[in-house]
Amino acid sequence: MTAVAQLLPASRRPKRMTPARWGLYAFIFITALYFLLPLYVMIVTSLKPMAEIRQGNLLALPAAPSIDAWVKAWTSACTGLTCQGIKIGFFNSLRILVPSVGISILIGSLTGYALSLWRLPGANILFGAMMVVAFIPYQVFIYPLVRVFSFTGLGQSLLTIVIIHTIFGLPTMTLLFRNYFASLPVELFKAARVDGAGFYQIYALIMMPMATPMIVVAVILQTTGIWNDFILGLIFAGRDNLPMTVQLNNIVNSTQGERAYNVDMAATLLTALLPLVVYFGSGRWFVRGIAAGAVKG
Amino acid sequence: MKRTLFASVAIVATAWASAPVSAEEMKAEVIHWWTSGGEAAAVKVFADQFNKAGGTWIDSAVAGAANARNAAISRTVAGNPPTAMQLNTGKQFDELVEGDLLADVDAIATEGNWKGVMPAAIIAAATRKGKMYAVPINIHGQNWLWYNKAVLASVGADEPKTWNDAITILDKLKAEGKVIPLAFSGQKNWEQNLFNAVMIGAGGAQMWTGILGKRDTSLAQSAEFKAVAVTYKKLKDYVDAGAPGRNWNDATNMVIQGKAGMQIMGDWAKGEFIAAGKVPEKDYGCTVLSNGSGGYVMGGDVFVFPKAKDPSTTKAQMTLARLMLTPETQIQFALKKGSIPVRSDVDASALDACAQKGMRYVADKAQQMPSGDMLAPPALIGALQDAISQYWNTSMSADEFSAKVAAVLKSQE
Amino acid sequence: MRLSLTSRLSAISALLPALLVMFVVYIGATSWTVWISLTNSRMLPNNNFIGLRQYEMLFNNDRWITSVHNIVIYGVLFVSLALLIGFLLAVAIDQRVRAEDTIRSIYLYPYSMSFVVTGLVWQWLLNPTLGIQHVLRSWGFEGATFDWIVRPETAIYCLVIAGVWQASGLVMAIMLAGLRGVDEEIWKAARVDGLPKWRVYVSIIIPMMDASFATAAVLLSTGVVRLYDLSVAMTNGGPGIASEVPAKFVMDHLFERANIGLATAAATTMLITVIAVVAPYLYWRARKGEMR
Repeated sequence: MTAVAQLLPASRRPKRMTPARWGLYAFIFITALYFLLPLYVMIVTSLKPMAEIRQGNLLALPAAPSIDAWVKAWTSACTGLTCQGIKIGFFNSLRILVPSVGISILIGSLTGYALSLWRLPGANILFGAMMVVAFIPYQVFIYPLVRVFSFTGLGQSLLTIVIIHTIFGLPTMTLLFRNYFASLPVELFKAARVDGAGFYQIYALIMMPMATPMIVVAVILQTTGIWNDFILGLIFAGRDNLPMTVQLNNIVNSTQGERAYNVDMAATLLTALLPLVVYFGSGRWFVRGIAAGAVKG
Repeated sequence: MKRTLFASVAIVATAWASAPVSAEEMKAEVIHWWTSGGEAAAVKVFADQFNKAGGTWIDSAVAGAANARNAAISRTVAGNPPTAMQLNTGKQFDELVEGDLLADVDAIATEGNWKGVMPAAIIAAATRKGKMYAVPINIHGQNWLWYNKAVLASVGADEPKTWNDAITILDKLKAEGKVIPLAFSGQKNWEQNLFNAVMIGAGGAQMWTGILGKRDTSLAQSAEFKAVAVTYKKLKDYVDAGAPGRNWNDATNMVIQGKAGMQIMGDWAKGEFIAAGKVPEKDYGCTVLSNGSGGYVMGGDVFVFPKAKDPSTTKAQMTLARLMLTPETQIQFALKKGSIPVRSDVDASALDACAQKGMRYVADKAQQMPSGDMLAPPALIGALQDAISQYWNTSMSADEFSAKVAAVLKSQE
Repeated sequence: MRLSLTSRLSAISALLPALLVMFVVYIGATSWTVWISLTNSRMLPNNNFIGLRQYEMLFNNDRWITSVHNIVIYGVLFVSLALLIGFLLAVAIDQRVRAEDTIRSIYLYPYSMSFVVTGLVWQWLLNPTLGIQHVLRSWGFEGATFDWIVRPETAIYCLVIAGVWQASGLVMAIMLAGLRGVDEEIWKAARVDGLPKWRVYVSIIIPMMDASFATAAVLLSTGVVRLYDLSVAMTNGGPGIASEVPAKFVMDHLFERANIGLATAAATTMLITVIAVVAPYLYWRARKGEMR
């Protein structure tokens, strides 16, 4: 347990400043600038009126900051005939996101677990096929899948889009969990088998609790992918469940309409809010998960 | 877990199959790609008219023509079509007609005497196998030249009439060195649009229909075509270094702000001038360059109606078709959209100076030119686009380019 | 270890969803794609068999050739830079720095945003008359030149800059999970032996983290082959066709250009290439696994 305690940042005392430490902080500072620059541009643009944006001074701070664009993006920007901003899609996205993330991680971790620790005939072939699929642009599956879903009578619905996200998340999720479970000491698994634990018992009571770091990474991956998905939601979710990205696209990508970049930027930042919260919120879990992973040593 | 999943599958499946459709109600789900301010205001004209006629307009707006088409066509193929969908005037629905997926609107067209009031090229673009399958709703001029009056006046230039005039002015602006002569948005479709403007303006009607319509490979290798290619490439001298990748509206804003002299763009660019509070023929001018034979490239939009089993849907479709083309709807729509009405018998006095100019072009049979979309299928337009874009952006010679175009025309037979 | 019948059955039951997906979706959809690539389908699928004509057109198509060329350049640079930067960031964060949570979030946030608009921001930043070059010149550095995005020879490197910006945070997260899993005893032992820190990382830690590297590399590589949004949002494949990529070729021809015969031929070519690269790797992994 002491090793675990040492790993937690709370118990870490920052070291005194040596030249090497200065170099370290300089590295962190410069890389942080590279990462923050686009965000900075987005934020200042979203706070400028269009007349100021037309001047083209990208990095300048807004002369008179205004949150009008944010209000407009959330409540009144037109996304077709409805002019209620992007807020109407937020809850649709949430309704798609929660079950999709949950089910895809559940099935992906189960598959990864079965493929890694249980020596099943043909397991490598199944895994190999999934790996190949992970590389294929999923756009090529759209036509046949539309056919499959209309054939089964599911058509476009919330359930359809959840199944779709589960299907497309499966290869990556399986990869993630399979590799993780394979890296755990096999003795753990053997001991549980000797104690007479069954397949699902070992999964639920031993493996998943140990997989917290991977679950965090999986949640990050899936939340990002599903929340930012546009084309699948558009085609499979049905009119009543269209995700937020469809509205974002309607605001941002109009072909022949006039463009309001401040509203575009505000709408994008608003759309990205939920994944951002998940990231910031998962930081704590991240450390805890890693601590749990460290117990094995 | 698994049982509940299957149970819910079954429930959703039955709900899907037995979605209640009352025969009385007239509902129309319409997929289109007009999403932003002015565009949405325009489509609202249709929606209001339809609702007034006792229908219910269900709006499915998807930005981006390819996205909207993608959604609409996927659903039509899967047997769950929308009531109506937007397409560009042209060949985009050829295969939908061949696959017997569309309802024809011939009865409504006859009833409304469409053939008497629309340009022949537009009627032809909506007709397949002798029947009208699409409702053309507007005309967008694609090859307008927009210029900043003050900037042109600063070098003592008047409105250009031909490409030679335009190049003289561009040279002056370049020599003066105060502004960027030609505002340009270096994306493939605008590179193609500029090329098209040169091809029709300098090459004339024969070349336009010869290349795009007849796919004449020997014409593509002729000296005339190479001259067009040379003129096009010369325009690159008047463009700034930041052009590649720029959005069209940013280029328009360069003209609005007087940072650039002129821009070739469709009449949707007017929306940007209006948004910036500029007045046509006072702050900015609009014209179409021509060598005297043909000149005004007419693009536009149509609505098509996937075949429906339910008679109430068919009724809604025919009501929509009728309403979209009443003179009143036409003028209201054009005002909001910045396009011009597809009917020539409407009162154009409410339109602005540039739109009225457009109406005059369209009224003149010698000026009406069908757009590339009307003459050639999307696959050919796309292949030409790649060739044009490569030519514009590399050191490819006009000879190489014309050989390439000839090869593209041949391969897409 | 021998498995009892019941364990075996439950293990197989867990694989049912994956098997269903594999047969219905992967194999079904893939065979459909291959079949359509052998027909002259345009907007709608048809069954007019024309042999390998679409493939012939594909390999005579400049844009496809450029796309393939680009994806190789992008793939190599993107994967290696993202791995390198992600690893360095993880190591930096692992040095007990202040405000670790904040720094980690800064590195990770780009991953949460779709390229629909961040692509536009990158386009602005890299544009010579608007972005970094313009700002540098207005600060007095008259000769400053950074115009990669408008030059056909260099545009693809701009996609790498934005791609690395988006993905290295994720690599950092995976690497950090790996680093934190390293036994503290190793560090103690290294200190006793007087090894410099960088030596420990290079010769001990990195080899220990092969699973983290493999996971990150595979995730990044799947992103490479699927690269689409970035090219659309940042350069739209331009200038000219200079930054076109295969997935964009497939998408454009599938929908906008209504040429699904050619699109599926391109998709099939991608599929075959992926199998040709991934299958030997998996075989090698499986062999290695058995020997262990």
